[in-house]
Parts: sequence; structure tokens; C-alpha cells
Amino acid sequence: MRRFHDSNPAAVALYYLCVTGVTMFSVNPVIISISLLASVLNYCLYAEGGVKPHVFSAVLLIVLTAVNPLVNHNGMTVLFYLNDRPITAEACIYGLVTAGTVVASLYWIRLFTKAMTSDRLLYLFGRLSPKLSLILSMSIRYVELLRGRWRRIRDTQRALGLYDDGNPIDALKGSARVLSILITWAIENGIITAESMEARGYGTGRRMSFRMFRFRSSDAILVIVFIALTALGVIGIGAAKIVYYPAIGMDLTEPVSIAGYGGFAVLSILPVIINTKEAVRWRYLRSAV
Amino acid sequence: MALFEISGLSFRYPKSEAYALKDVDIVIGQGDFVTLVGPTGSGKSTLLRLLKPEMQFNGEIGGKIRFDGKPLHTLDARESAARISFVAQSPEEQIVTDKVWHELAFTAENLGMKQSEIARRVAETAAYFGIAPWYRQATAQLSGGQKQLLNLASVMVGEPDVLILDEPTAQLDPITAARFIDTLYKLNRETGVTVVISEHRAEELIPLCDRMIVLDKGCVVYDDAPRDIADRLDKSSPYLPYLPQAARMFIESGKAGRCPLSVREGRRIFGGTQTNESKTARRSEDDRTAALEIMDVFFRYEKDAPDVLSGLSATVYAGEIFAVLGANGCGKSTAAAVIAGLKKPYSGKVKLFGRALKEYKNGSLYKENVSLLPQDAESVFLRASVKEELEGCEEVLAKLPFDLSPLFSRHPYDISGGERQLVALCRALKSKPRLLILDEPSKGLDPVSKRRLAELLIQLKNSGVTVLMVSHDVEFAAVCADRCALFFDGAIAACEETDGFMNGNRYYTTAAVRILRGRHEGAVVG
Repeated sequence: MRRFHDSNPAAVALYYLCVTGVTMFSVNPVIISISLLASVLNYCLYAEGGVKPHVFSAVLLIVLTAVNPLVNHNGMTVLFYLNDRPITAEACIYGLVTAGTVVASLYWIRLFTKAMTSDRLLYLFGRLSPKLSLILSMSIRYVELLRGRWRRIRDTQRALGLYDDGNPIDALKGSARVLSILITWAIENGIITAESMEARGYGTGRRMSFRMFRFRSSDAILVIVFIALTALGVIGIGAAKIVYYPAIGMDLTEPVSIAGYGGFAVLSILPVIINTKEAVRWRYLRSAV
Repeated sequence: MALFEISGLSFRYPKSEAYALKDVDIVIGQGDFVTLVGPTGSGKSTLLRLLKPEMQFNGEIGGKIRFDGKPLHTLDARESAARISFVAQSPEEQIVTDKVWHELAFTAENLGMKQSEIARRVAETAAYFGIAPWYRQATAQLSGGQKQLLNLASVMVGEPDVLILDEPTAQLDPITAARFIDTLYKLNRETGVTVVISEHRAEELIPLCDRMIVLDKGCVVYDDAPRDIADRLDKSSPYLPYLPQAARMFIESGKAGRCPLSVREGRRIFGGTQTNESKTARRSEDDRTAALEIMDVFFRYEKDAPDVLSGLSATVYAGEIFAVLGANGCGKSTAAAVIAGLKKPYSGKVKLFGRALKEYKNGSLYKENVSLLPQDAESVFLRASVKEELEGCEEVLAKLPFDLSPLFSRHPYDISGGERQLVALCRALKSKPRLLILDEPSKGLDPVSKRRLAELLIQLKNSGVTVLMVSHDVEFAAVCADRCALFFDGAIAACEETDGFMNGNRYYTTAAVRILRGRHEGAVVG
């Protein structure tokens, strides 16, 4: 079963670039609403993270909505006065839309980071430069290695009675000592790694980058679909006329705009559509077996 | 056909008067399986590294090395990388990348192979070495044995003519190590790759290899089939420790005939013979005071992770050497850390000299009570020389059964593994612990260093220090431990006096017991 996120990393990256881009540069309330709903739906389905991120998002939405009317006093419809400054309905609505933009973009970005595991990122960078991808891969490994090493050295030093976390100065001295051992160790063992690289022909000539992901025809189709739907969305946004200040004036119902909303809505729930289709096909295949 | 022709080879390190290698003449044929043995500092590593141009140490090289008919130094860099492969001792540091598949592809990537070629070789190699199940894992998550297998597999992707291995199993437990050696043997038989390996672990390797080269002080002492060398050695030979147990028992017994090498051959000869008697008198358990009591300890690293220790219980008596044996990655080291109070169990109690660990306040636990020496002695060292490192340890040094002062001017990272272990141990004794916990003390040591370490531990025991060691080295535990325990599945599965323990086990026991097993009681070491 080939789920959406199993597609070629380049296609997946392009997808998130499209949805995030449209969301970020739009002040169209319909687009933002679609984006927010779809991103939350995607997040709930494909990125398990409990309730916490949603609570955070809700708080962020409220705070960001409240900030705009407090600092921006444009607009004709005065709701009430706060410290002799007018709080306007226009500023509130604009605040809500921008807050929606930020929160929806955050959801998309979070989904992107979940989808882009280190292998996928490496694949993307590997296409740009095999050297860069190797450096990234080594860095990822070294961070993990040094972290574990730090813990081991700290334990050793403690067990030899050299590290006393009883008082802060001692603890600081102890940490400095651990860091000094860690650096010596990293240099010493870096030599072994360097030798191992050289022994295996690193630096003998042009390097290739082994790609774990193939660019299939289905990926090409996906890319075309992404671009077409994004273009439709952008044209739709362009056709809609929106003014927030001094008074809200919107013409959201141009036929072109409606087509654009449709296009963007399909784009933003495309992962759900593809995965559901695959799941149904899978069930059908299995029952056929 | 000769692959390597080495004639009159000598080597001297810069600023050194003495030769690390002298007049070495060796011919290694295509498909040979050659084992290099000898004491630490005999030039094994130097010789192996001279065979791989990228790994050569700086220094003055004399004599000739020809590879496949041409002088080695004329070999093109890419050809050398592909045709001559090198696997070193430490499983961890040789790994370059973060994912198993990437590590496998690394050699092929460097050699600039085509995408389809890399894919084929990586797939083939992963399948052959049984790597497929962990192909997509992060390299940091692998066990030591898996890491070393990955190192081997990743150089095999280059389809080399010769594999050079410098003590590849020194950091592995005996069962994993034997498996690694079997893989090498299989590779040698099935693909015809030439294998040149240096190793302290004679037991599994010697019976399998075609040729054994004994090096001492930079010279070749013996170069022949292992059985032929064994036939020529006598009881007093200093090279006896490099032979497997069966051969040593045979030579010491002075029997006539062909020398046995493997446990199987040894059993054919020694069936029914009686050797040494049980060496420790059994003491009753009641009249001893407990130094350490571990009661139903449970530990796990994360909330949702499985238990590493599940109901660990044990009592270590004052003034004994207690060995906890088990395979790599079974949780022995975690047990040591929990016992030393470095990690907190979520259930259960650890009592040290009658008091719970948390009753030791203000770091008093690690002053004059417990010292834990970890596997990697490097994490102990802080200073630029051994002398500075051992400052304040004069009392300890004065009592040592050997002299460490020749090492004083050296950097702790530049001395051999065995020496490093001894220096670290002295460092750990500085706080005058009553309980000394050792994590894999004999890892990577040659037979001579092991004997020294065992002597030191027994001396410590006699001076009243209780020693708890966790180890995978059964032979080492048999030499110095009073009691042994088998650690399995988070708890102690069996615990007995050393003799009874070794005689009771079938796999996790010394080679001597495996040879004599079922015939009599009381053989621990030959």
C-alpha cells in the first residue's frame, strides 16, 4: 500500500510548500478556514501528538486574534473603548484571519517535519549535493553519539567520586571536566572514523549519492496535480476582492473564486483522499485474495 | 597465486630507535585465511596497516610489499579502496553515517558507482549478511555485534580481494564473536576472499584458519598451519596462550600424536581424564557478611520501554569476587550502573554494607565505599599524561604486583588497551572503595594483560576489597571469580560457586569444561 507520505520526498516536500505557501500569503477568510480545518484534520490523522499541540494552537489563535485590535485601531465599526482607544470590529476580524493563517501554517509545518524523516531530508539534499547529504548524515549520527557519550562520561566521573552535584560550583566544575573529556574523546575517535572513511575510498574521486527513493510516474502525476490545484487556488484568490479597512468589503463569490476554493480544498485534503483510496483498494485486494 | 608478497619488510616509527617490524617475509595466497597472533606491541597492527595503503602509519618503511604482482604503493586510490578492505577493532567509531542502508552504500558511493549498481550490491550484501531486518534502522540503535557485522558488510560491498581485520571481535561477547568469526569463515569459503586477521581470541579462530603467523617483537616466529605450529610448541613456550584450550591441554599433558585444536577434537582425546581438583573450598553461606544486597530491582529506561532489569536479586559477600556473566546488550552494564547508584530503579532496593544507597549522603557513596569502572577506560582520563592521571594514587601503586612507571610520560590515549585498563583501575582505587564494580574489565585485553589484571583483582580481594564484575569473558571469570552468576532476561538465572557454575553450564562455560564435560567434576581451566 503506497500511502501519501510514501511518495517521493521531493513530491511530498513540494506538497507542503504549496499548501503552506497559499496559506501564508492569503488573507482570504474562506481559504484560511479551509486550510485550518484541513490541516487539523491531517494532523489528527497522520501525526499523533495527543491534545497538547491543539491546546497550544487554540491559545495561540485567541492571543493572536486579541493582539490585532489592541494595537490596530483602524476601522469604522467601533465596538467599545479600551483606555480611550477604539476597539473595532474590522480589526477583530482581520486579527482572527491572520491568527488563522499563522496557526494553519504552523500545523502544515509540523506535518512537514513529521513527514520528512532524516532519510527523506537527506534524499532531498543529496540531489543538490552528495557531499552535503553525507555531512548531514554524519552530523545526525554524531549528535546522537556525543549525547550518549556525555551521559557515560558523567556517570563514570560520578562513580569515581569526582563529580558531586551537591553544590552548584562543584556541579559546574564537574560539567567542565566532562566536556573536556568529551572533546578529547571526540577528536581521538574522529580519527578512527576518518580512517574508516578513507579506507573505504572517500575522496578518491566523484561521489555518488545512493537514493533510497525512486521518482515514479505516480510521483510525476502527483506533482502535476499539486501545481494545477495550487494555480487554481491562486487564481481564485486573485479573483476575490477583499478589503478589511476602513470597512469590510468582500466579494468572495465570483465563480472563478469558488473554483479556486474548490481546488485548494481538494489540495489540502489530498493526503486524506489518497490514503482513503489506497485503504479501500487494499481492502478490496485482500478480500479478492 | 600470491596476492601479497612481502619480503624483507621493516618498519620504524618516527623518532623511534627500535624497529616495530624487522625482516618480515610473508607470502599470502589468493583465498588464504591467515591469523596473526602475538603479544601486545608485537607489531600485528603495524603489519596489517602496512598492507592497506590508506591505513599506513607514518614512519620509515623498508623492504617490499607486492600486491597482485605490482608494488603496493603503485596501486591507484580507487583500486586500493575497492580491492583491499580493512575492518578495525571498535564497532562504533568505524561507522560513518546515521542509517544502516546509507552505511552499506557508503563504499559504493565513494567509488562513484552507478545508481543501479549500488542498489544491486547493497541489496545482495544486506541479504547475504542477514541485515535486511534492520536495513532501515539508525546505526546508533544497533548492538555491538550488529555494528561490527555492518562494518564487515559495508566493506564487502566493494567486492574486495582481501579482507584485513585488526582484532575485530575484541569488543564482542564470546557468542557474538564466534558468530562473527563463522561469518568470516563462510565468506572465505563461499566467495574466496582472502582473510588476514589479528586476534587474541584463539579459541574459535585457530581451528578454522589455514595459517597462523606468530609475531613477536616485530619478527615472524612461526608461519605455518596451526596444527603444525602446535606440534612444534612445548609446555614452556611463551606462545602457548595463543593456542586454543584443547591444544594447550594436549601439549601440557605431553601426549603423543596430532595436536587437537577444536573442542570437538579435544573431547575425543580427553574423554575420561581427570585434571585438577576443585580449587575453592565451599564455605557455608551463613557465616559471611553481605557487602551488597540487591532485592527485586526493576529498571527501565523510559516509561513505555521494556524492563531491562526485572526482579534482579543477588547477594555479594564481603571479600569475594563475584562475576555476573551474560551476552552483549543483555543489561549487565545497566545492572552495574543501578547497583552503583547511578541509575534509580523504579522498584526494589539496593543495600550496601547494610545501608540503603540513598542513606549515603553528600557523595559519601563514592568516597571510600563504591567505585565503578566502566567498559571504556577513556571516559576516566582527564589529564595529558599517565603520571598526572595517577596523582594521589601512590599508595595504590606501591602495592601493585607490577610496575606502571614506564608509562608515566605517555598520554593515556596512547597506551595499549591492557595498560589503559590497569591505569584506569588504579585511578578507581584512589578513593579506597570497599566495593569495586567493574564493567567488562577484560574487554580487548591480550592474554598477558588479562593475567596481570586477574592477579591484581585477587590481590585486592585478599586485602579485603569486595569485587563485583559484569563480564562476557567466561575464561577470565573462571580464573579469578569466587562465585559466578548468569544474567539473563533482566535477572539472575543461575548463581553458584565458580567451579559448580562452570561445570553446570553447557555453552556459557570455559572451553576446558566443554572438552571434559560429562566425564568428571572440577575442571575449570586447564
